[in-house]
Amino acid sequence: MSIAPRATAPRPIAASGAAFTYAGSRRPAFRDVELKLDPGAVLLIVGPSGSGKSTLARGIAGLLPEQFPGEWRGSLRIGDTDVAATSPEAVVSAARTASLGAGMVFQDPASQLVMERVGDDVAFGLENLAWARAAMRERVPEALAGVGLRGFEDRRSTRLSGGEQQRVAIAGVLAPGPGLLVLDEPTAHLDTAGAEAAFRVLHSIREREAATIVLVEHRVALAWPLADAVLAIDDEGRPIDVGVPAAVLRRSGKKLRDAGIWLPDDEDGQASAGGRGARAGRGRLSKQVLGSDPVIRLDAVRFGYPASEPVLREIDLRVGPGERVALVGRNGSGKTTLLRLALGLLRPIAGEVSLGGRDPRRLQPQQLARLAGFVPQEPELGFLGQSVREEVELGLAEDQLGHARDLAERLRLPLGALGDRSPYRLSGGEQRRLSLVTGLARRPILLALDEPTFGQDRRGHEALVEALDELVGEGSTLLAATHDERFVRDAADRRVELADGWVLADEPIGIPPAAASAR
Amino acid sequence: MTAAALMAPEIGDAQRSSVLGRANPLIKLGISLAWLIGLGFTLDLRPPLILAVVAVIAGLQLGGIPPGALARRLAPLVLAAFSIAVTNLLFSTHNPDPAATELLRIGPLRITQEALADAAGLGARVGAIVTVGAVFVLTTDATRLMDALVQQARVSSRFAYGLLAAYQAVPRLIEDLGTLRAARRLRGLRELDPSVLLGILVRAIRHADQLSIAMDARGFGAGPRSIYRPIAWTRLDLTVGAAALAILLAALIASR
Repeated sequence: MSIAPRATAPRPIAASGAAFTYAGSRRPAFRDVELKLDPGAVLLIVGPSGSGKSTLARGIAGLLPEQFPGEWRGSLRIGDTDVAATSPEAVVSAARTASLGAGMVFQDPASQLVMERVGDDVAFGLENLAWARAAMRERVPEALAGVGLRGFEDRRSTRLSGGEQQRVAIAGVLAPGPGLLVLDEPTAHLDTAGAEAAFRVLHSIREREAATIVLVEHRVALAWPLADAVLAIDDEGRPIDVGVPAAVLRRSGKKLRDAGIWLPDDEDGQASAGGRGARAGRGRLSKQVLGSDPVIRLDAVRFGYPASEPVLREIDLRVGPGERVALVGRNGSGKTTLLRLALGLLRPIAGEVSLGGRDPRRLQPQQLARLAGFVPQEPELGFLGQSVREEVELGLAEDQLGHARDLAERLRLPLGALGDRSPYRLSGGEQRRLSLVTGLARRPILLALDEPTFGQDRRGHEALVEALDELVGEGSTLLAATHDERFVRDAADRRVELADGWVLADEPIGIPPAAASAR
Repeated sequence: MTAAALMAPEIGDAQRSSVLGRANPLIKLGISLAWLIGLGFTLDLRPPLILAVVAVIAGLQLGGIPPGALARRLAPLVLAAFSIAVTNLLFSTHNPDPAATELLRIGPLRITQEALADAAGLGARVGAIVTVGAVFVLTTDATRLMDALVQQARVSSRFAYGLLAAYQAVPRLIEDLGTLRAARRLRGLRELDPSVLLGILVRAIRHADQLSIAMDARGFGAGPRSIYRPIAWTRLDLTVGAAALAILLAALIASR
């Protein structure tokens, strides 16, 4: 029997001139980081897409350079250990992470759950630290209860929702009682309810001062109120400001905004560039030009897999030319399935689907590509080229290339700088924008987007809204599945809410009542 | 998703708590191997048929497998066994042999009795092996199998739990394959192309990579591990093992 394990005390963090450069890259991912964080405090790292936030988070968790090769400068002390000083005895990062008392929660819940069942997965980290069985038996249910998943021990993690999976991951990382918890965009795959539940867990850790927390997060409305300190970094990975959130906002709010960083007051209803009034007018104009035959028609469409609950139950939906429809609803409510049905990528078990008046399943790939552009939820799955340039230009006709390159430029993927890079080596936000370029490059009649604003900073969001605006102005129709209320507000004029495979609500948004009734 | 369920089945509570479900996975693995080797000693039709029938009855009665699930799982495998038998029947070296007894002649095609016997024996053996395999898979919890391999067979835990994680990733990769094909189709390209397989391979490697980073970040490989779910040998394992050996012997004796 080993000794009853004790939770590690919260760790202080101190950085001085810390910088890290990935092997094979000339530019440091982040540099000149100066930081002092008290034990038990919450640090929020913010910065535009591609600014090195994830790298810094990995560094603090002790995963550099062993898991991601590269070179440190300066110092970064976690408790008593300087993780930037590569010493021979710290070669195995596993050992280092364990001795740091650090735990890291990653973005994608599915690629961090090891075991088949929830209880086993939470116990996995405890087994690795050689906890006694009796202590594990006690700790596993406790850790699950701590994330609101009491009694989930025997459930299969693959059957849980994304939000539940991420909470299992947090429980597994928290179970050994780490002194430092590092989370890299933990809510990126979650719906609003899932994200709020995850943040309730973080709030309770903070209240108990159980661990120091380092957080990278785009949901500013949830993240800023939790933070004791904010570290803002710019495009080049240099700190803009660091300090108490209110002070950072007061001192550097404008600088942060200019750097493309979301601020907490961006949440409350102010529309971004290219305001709604102008857009609503243009949408109606194109409708008169284009006629009113629906672009998408779903009649009594049902979809499901054998021997399981139907995914979509009885969907009637018409989307006219020039409409901008946002599909909203919780994880698993059928948004992605509906998109795929509309594109003819799935066959309904009942009912009829038409795209531009034809059955999309019978279209030739060339015809379908002219009709519809698709941006999948996982950008990586859409990549077909070896380089960013090839990816942008793949399958395009000569006269489409100019527009595609323009679009890449506008979405901040300059082919001059990034053209030769492998699409897989872009940051998460850059990958998302690349998949948007490929989906929008042909100016298709239907723009079908699945979570288009995932991981986008303010500039990415604005550039996307503007590009969509233009395309709709030229006659495209938008159908976007999203959790992002800001995107709904800025880019959509109709909101279709799904729940358990039903259409729960279908209403125009943001248009003055007079205009709405004239439709 | 249907294809995914077929490739990586999840066994239900009924199967897990059944007699075969509670038996040690290594015993069941051992029985499957012993039966496989035992069948190598005979060309007779009876032993494989006896073993296949026993496996089906055991699966239904002692394993709690719903007959429908077993049938769905077996249908393609039995079809494969049948087509192997037919191929062997048609292309057997006995057919051109003038000394062999001719059963049937259609134009240049000659079928002999010896070829039929060989082909039937082979088909039956393949059928028996896939049946035993299906019953094993449908009554064995993947986690318990890996726990037993690590704790009792001293297989490396990195290998075993890596395999378990890979096994869980199969449905997701099949879904990814669908998305990849869709992405090609929507960019005006043919859906089926070798590059799709490359894309899936890249995807699988990246998934494995992320998972191994997540495992290491949780202290895997940092030192000695303890065990959350211990697996012990029980009397049930002895009974099941002995019964299976007795059945194998009886089946082999029946071939005389």
